[in-house]
Amino acid sequence: MEPVVYLYDGTFAGMLHAIARAVKDGGAVHAITPTHRYTPTLFDTVITLKCDADQADRLLQYLQNLHPLAANLAVYAYLSGEGGVEMQMYSFVHLCLRRGKQALSYESHSAVAHLKGLFHAVSREAHRYKGLIRFRILADDLQYGPFEPHYNIISLCARHFRRRLAGCRWLLHDLQRNSALYWDTVDLQPVEVDTDFAAYVALHGEVPAAQLSENEQEYQQLWRAFHRAISNPARHNPQLQQQGMPQRYWKYLTEM
Amino acid sequence: MNTLDKLTILADAAKFDASCASSGSNRKAKPGALGDAAAAGICHSWSADGRCISLLKVLLSNDCRFDCVYCMSRRSNQCARATFTPDEVAELTINFYRRNYIEGLFLSSAVYASPEQTMSDMVDVCRQLRSKYAFNGYIHLKVIPGAPQELVAQAGMLADRLSVNIELPSAASLRKLAPQKSRQGILTPMRQIGEAMSNYAAERKKSRRTPKFCPAGQSTQMIIGASAESDLHILTLSQSLYTKMQLRRVYYSAYIAVNSAPNLPMPATAPPLVREHRLYQADWLMRFYQFQAEEILQATAPNLDERLDPKAAWALRHFDLFPLDINRASYEELLRVPGLGVTSARRIIATRRVAAIREEDLKKLGLVMKRARYFLSINGKKLVAAIPSHQDLLTAMCRLEKPAISHLSPQYRQLRLF
Repeated sequence: MEPVVYLYDGTFAGMLHAIARAVKDGGAVHAITPTHRYTPTLFDTVITLKCDADQADRLLQYLQNLHPLAANLAVYAYLSGEGGVEMQMYSFVHLCLRRGKQALSYESHSAVAHLKGLFHAVSREAHRYKGLIRFRILADDLQYGPFEPHYNIISLCARHFRRRLAGCRWLLHDLQRNSALYWDTVDLQPVEVDTDFAAYVALHGEVPAAQLSENEQEYQQLWRAFHRAISNPARHNPQLQQQGMPQRYWKYLTEM
Repeated sequence: MNTLDKLTILADAAKFDASCASSGSNRKAKPGALGDAAAAGICHSWSADGRCISLLKVLLSNDCRFDCVYCMSRRSNQCARATFTPDEVAELTINFYRRNYIEGLFLSSAVYASPEQTMSDMVDVCRQLRSKYAFNGYIHLKVIPGAPQELVAQAGMLADRLSVNIELPSAASLRKLAPQKSRQGILTPMRQIGEAMSNYAAERKKSRRTPKFCPAGQSTQMIIGASAESDLHILTLSQSLYTKMQLRRVYYSAYIAVNSAPNLPMPATAPPLVREHRLYQADWLMRFYQFQAEEILQATAPNLDERLDPKAAWALRHFDLFPLDINRASYEELLRVPGLGVTSARRIIATRRVAAIREEDLKKLGLVMKRARYFLSINGKKLVAAIPSHQDLLTAMCRLEKPAISHLSPQYRQLRLF
């Protein structure tokens, strides 16, 4: 049988369904990709899938029962948005079916090594942004946190802040993907941010002064003063500073 | 004086405190309260000296009555003085926290009126934060030597971490350089905190409702290079603090010559940053690599080799134990291989249970072999063609160290040609 290309709709459930289907078909698989990333070639046998949430759920449940980390590998691989993770997942699921829970310890297997590497990369970035997001308090007391992460980690950050700042209204805004999540002290929901506002923030790395709350700039100044004063000139070491906080994070940092 | 000026003065005076950790406490979010604590700790920024900023690290006051010879804020120094009111600190903390600048507060202070008054004001800041502002984030509180027991007990209920600075590694140096502080005044609160922690922990085993006392444990800090103690002396002291006093961390702070005094290094002497770095490495060996202080150093050579990390130095002294086979060595043995850390050792053990490790797997496992290759073999096969002579191996290991310490000392800085 010809190797098959599976196309799915680009959602997480779609990805899981495509993998489950590929495993079930049992034939040679050439690729599993979202439709929007696929460039047709002459000899591919293409199967375009319509997402079956039930199938996707069963695969996720299987991984979860195997070990929570196995399910997390799937979630984080999807959040990484990198091409080719579907095939790695496909080969990982095969390994799980053969080896059971042991598959997770098989770190010299290329799919396991790759997926764990991605898991660490994505969770490291999410962890860094837990500290590096700076909220600006706007005139209506809304806390606005703009950032531009490499991976799609807004949901991971929101999960952190909905616990920590449960009593405050805040909005996380990923300007890279133009997605935003709003917490109104009860619910978390995706929202649209005004395009002019987003364009201004993306350009200046700061919110227009007119929209800030009364003492926001004063606290920004206090924070900058603290940041300067706490550094010890006898130990001056900008190399080490950049190592902890690479330049790609600086744009929305009040102190840099 | 406005808040900006005070903050500048009091943060500047706090910059000598080494600790920045916000880890070890898993204070859960509560309805109606602001904040929680992340057990792993979160860094929020990095200052120009490369150290991470996770807490609002300030002194309540730098208006000190004491005259410790090594200290910037000593009474006889001419410097700008400021004192925060407890309200100011609490408000600043809350506003910084809401903007996600910080993980919490690290409050220390110079002794301004009396140790009792100072400590009581510091506890007041914590109480305001916890009750008036319902602040549920991380608080690290410095205990003033000579503070009354009652206040230390209150502090432990409010803060996540307490620390008493041991300042200098021996009682003799303390007498010489900090005449108003006594060894006893430092060790008493330290012991009190340790005992209270274990008492409350035992109570919690019986009832989950028992509050936590100082959940992130206690730490301390000592100054390196202001007095003449050897590294062996320092490490032995740290070891006993870890085992007998159950400290979570001992911080080492390279002495920066700010004052001129007959029994101190001259001002403008370069701070011993490489020595401090080696001490931290040795400290890690004791806490995570199952080393004893006496294994790292002996009385015959009581100081760490600045050119070499202490684990590599140990491995070179015990080269007859190597090479170890990556598929057979135990976890404890793997930890002793230079270049392998806790993560690598765990990964090796986990993988080995599924499949034997082959040479081509090393990279996939993410192992860094530049040091380890001299000390490991795979199924009897060495990883280098020939093991170099002891002298060549020493030179090779020292060369590998250079990039890591080059920025710490002018001595190791390489000449730039262009």
